Amino acid sequence: MIKKLVSIRGILGFFLFLSVLYASYGIYYKIRYWGFSIAPKQNTNLWSVEAHISFDPTGDPIKVNLTTPRSNDAFKILEENIIAPEYKINRNKSGSILSLTSPAKEETQNLYYKIMLFDNIDTRGKTKAAKPQNPNMPLFDEQKMAASKQILNLAKKQNGDDVSKIIRLLNQEPLQPAVQAYLPIKNSQQQMVEIISELLALKNIPSRPARGLKLEESKKSLTPDLMLEAYIDGVWKIYNIKTGKKGLPDNFVLFQRGGKSLLDVIGGENSVIKFSILKSVVSSMSLAEKRAKLADTENWFDYSIYNLPLSQQNTLKWLSIFPLAILLIVLMRNVVGVQTMGTFTPMLLSMALVKTGFVAGMTCFGLMIALGLATRFLMNRFNLLLVPRISAVVIFVILIMQALTIIGFRMDLRIAQSAVFFPIIITAWIIERASITWEEDGALNAGKEIFFSLMVAIIVYFVVSSEYIRHIMFAFNELNIVILFIVMLLGTYTGYRLLELKRFKPLVLR
Amino acid sequence: MFAWLNNFCSPSQLQKAGVLGMNSRNFDVISKYNKRSLYPLVDNKVKTKEIAAKVGISTPNLIGKIEYQYEVENILDIISEYREFVIKPAQGSGGKGVLVISNYQNKIFTTASGKQIGYKDVYQHISNILSGLYSLGGKYDTAIIEELVHFSDVFKDYSYQGVPDVRIIVYKGYPIMAMTRLPTKASGGRANLHQGAVGVGLDIKTGRALHGVLRNYPITIQPDTGADLMQIEVPMWKEHLKIGALAYDMTGLGYLGADIVLDANKGPMMLELNARPGLAIQIANGIGLKSKIKEVDEFYPENLSAQKRVEFVLNYERAK
Repeated sequence: MIKKLVSIRGILGFFLFLSVLYASYGIYYKIRYWGFSIAPKQNTNLWSVEAHISFDPTGDPIKVNLTTPRSNDAFKILEENIIAPEYKINRNKSGSILSLTSPAKEETQNLYYKIMLFDNIDTRGKTKAAKPQNPNMPLFDEQKMAASKQILNLAKKQNGDDVSKIIRLLNQEPLQPAVQAYLPIKNSQQQMVEIISELLALKNIPSRPARGLKLEESKKSLTPDLMLEAYIDGVWKIYNIKTGKKGLPDNFVLFQRGGKSLLDVIGGENSVIKFSILKSVVSSMSLAEKRAKLADTENWFDYSIYNLPLSQQNTLKWLSIFPLAILLIVLMRNVVGVQTMGTFTPMLLSMALVKTGFVAGMTCFGLMIALGLATRFLMNRFNLLLVPRISAVVIFVILIMQALTIIGFRMDLRIAQSAVFFPIIITAWIIERASITWEEDGALNAGKEIFFSLMVAIIVYFVVSSEYIRHIMFAFNELNIVILFIVMLLGTYTGYRLLELKRFKPLVLR
Repeated sequence: MFAWLNNFCSPSQLQKAGVLGMNSRNFDVISKYNKRSLYPLVDNKVKTKEIAAKVGISTPNLIGKIEYQYEVENILDIISEYREFVIKPAQGSGGKGVLVISNYQNKIFTTASGKQIGYKDVYQHISNILSGLYSLGGKYDTAIIEELVHFSDVFKDYSYQGVPDVRIIVYKGYPIMAMTRLPTKASGGRANLHQGAVGVGLDIKTGRALHGVLRNYPITIQPDTGADLMQIEVPMWKEHLKIGALAYDMTGLGYLGADIVLDANKGPMMLELNARPGLAIQIANGIGLKSKIKEVDEFYPENLSAQKRVEFVLNYERAK
């Protein structure tokens, strides 16, 4: 007998273990590859970046080379649009350079390159690069070399790693005299990068410029920021050339790396590139499909809830909270030992409360039960048969609902309007059941039954009405399998119920 | 602040006291020893009466039964020769829907509580029974009319109206625990503890009172009559136990509760059987059922006749 029990529990426990493993993997997978989040209403920023290239043709055949961003550590490219009518579009092997070619033209040319980007959750921090060649020693004369060495020595007193130290020294406020003498009087960002690169080359650290855009919504046209990448410990690390801060800033998208220029126009002059950025906010859930596509997990996604039309998703979202509510009811009944009217009546009540709101729902429900009971007792005098009598109660409940809704609308009372959300049959059944208990066991017992059912309903309500929990149960619906096995395991729980600890206390041996 | 915690005890304390909890009753006992297919035998009182007659258990005589709505009018014909009777649902439980008529004259029905009702009320009551109001699961039911039991004078001082009975818990055919249930004013003449009847645990070897309990609290006197509960000693005790033991033979239920009434003239009669008897009997006896069940599992022999099982229980208990 005991051996058999152990094996049933063992099997169920094993399945529970498996389902927990499965759910954990599912949650991990969805967060990692589909970008789901634990918190509800999580939004992802979708950036659309537009590069506007304009130039005046010189009369020769035109070739425009634009260095474009690739999906990288921080961002993924969702869509790419090139508006360049009559141009032939080519890409180099790595895909990073876009070439637009056209025969000679006359008027000023306006070309647009547009991309949609969103933050790349799944491959963050994974770029490994082949070791670049050692940098060439800069060709300095003796005096310059000595000055550079002095700068490098001074830099040692700064904070951070080698690269940061140099950048910080060169940007110090106020500049040390030696540094001031070393820097040209008026230096551009471009020059700054070159100077830093030279100094790094003396220390045998390969480096290169990088250009990118800070993703910030602004109406102004933007010019790309220049940054510096240095090859340290086998990876390219990026530095802000003003502050020496290591790492990509938030919302920064790199367009170009290395010595190539951002824009190169052959057969044109006065070329200008302007960027504009637009931010749109999309919910993480709606981006999930696109993410899944990019992550090559499309087939998986096709068979998930999240690929259904929104209306069906909403229904399923509503359904996926039920298992948790059921688990709570099972706990309340079999572990705590609360007696309720019917098994699932409290659950349906709490579902109605979620739709109506707590105070409105409770008031309305109380009113309906009170009115219903009153009529039920009036009906007692007619000595009706059971089935017609219950049917009459159902019809009466419908009438109460209608009346409350109309009155509620007329008087603008939200409380009364929530009547329609309570399940008619359940309400009628509670009234009938309560009135019978009232007759048989007295008002006290009837009140107790309603009270305990309501109490359980309220507890379930507070769990189920949490936006957080609703989101988690829907987004990570594999948790429902875990709940299934917990409920089944509870079916083998033979220990005492919480309330029995009170009930049977007189039996405890002293 | 935590004073209310004193109302609770720890699970290990209950375990030590051998208390059977609801979950354990359902899982370890009922689902193991009570086959569901056997339930109709005890859930339907007409069937119970039939099989009881076969093994020689006496039950109150059946006066008549009403199965369909159109037959309800026949009630006056059925009872024409009786002054007193009981109308109850065949598939009721917990004393629900039981109408005790202690005096019937000139179409005036006097109930056990002294209330006078008319033909219409009785008609309505039977209709309710037929439509399943009092039945398990609300199924259509049959109303049965049976003779009123004249309970023995022994219980006279202990009961306020209604019919006091003896509930015996039978495990694997062995009567293991017993109590008498005494209707009170609060229980409305019904013998169910949760409705406010007094429960008095009975010594399984003698039928003498052990403890009294009212709504889970210890009690020593009947609240309505003031009689000393500890003086109760049920006569014909061995016959009571025998009915319990035979109930196992007739139903095959490994765990059951037999409700027995002691008729002044006919001796102990079985009123009904219950396949899911409640756990309050433990409080009335001051003993846990689990310890008794364990005893039976470990020390009681199998395959004894009903008579032998009763003897075994008596000897075993006396030897303790």
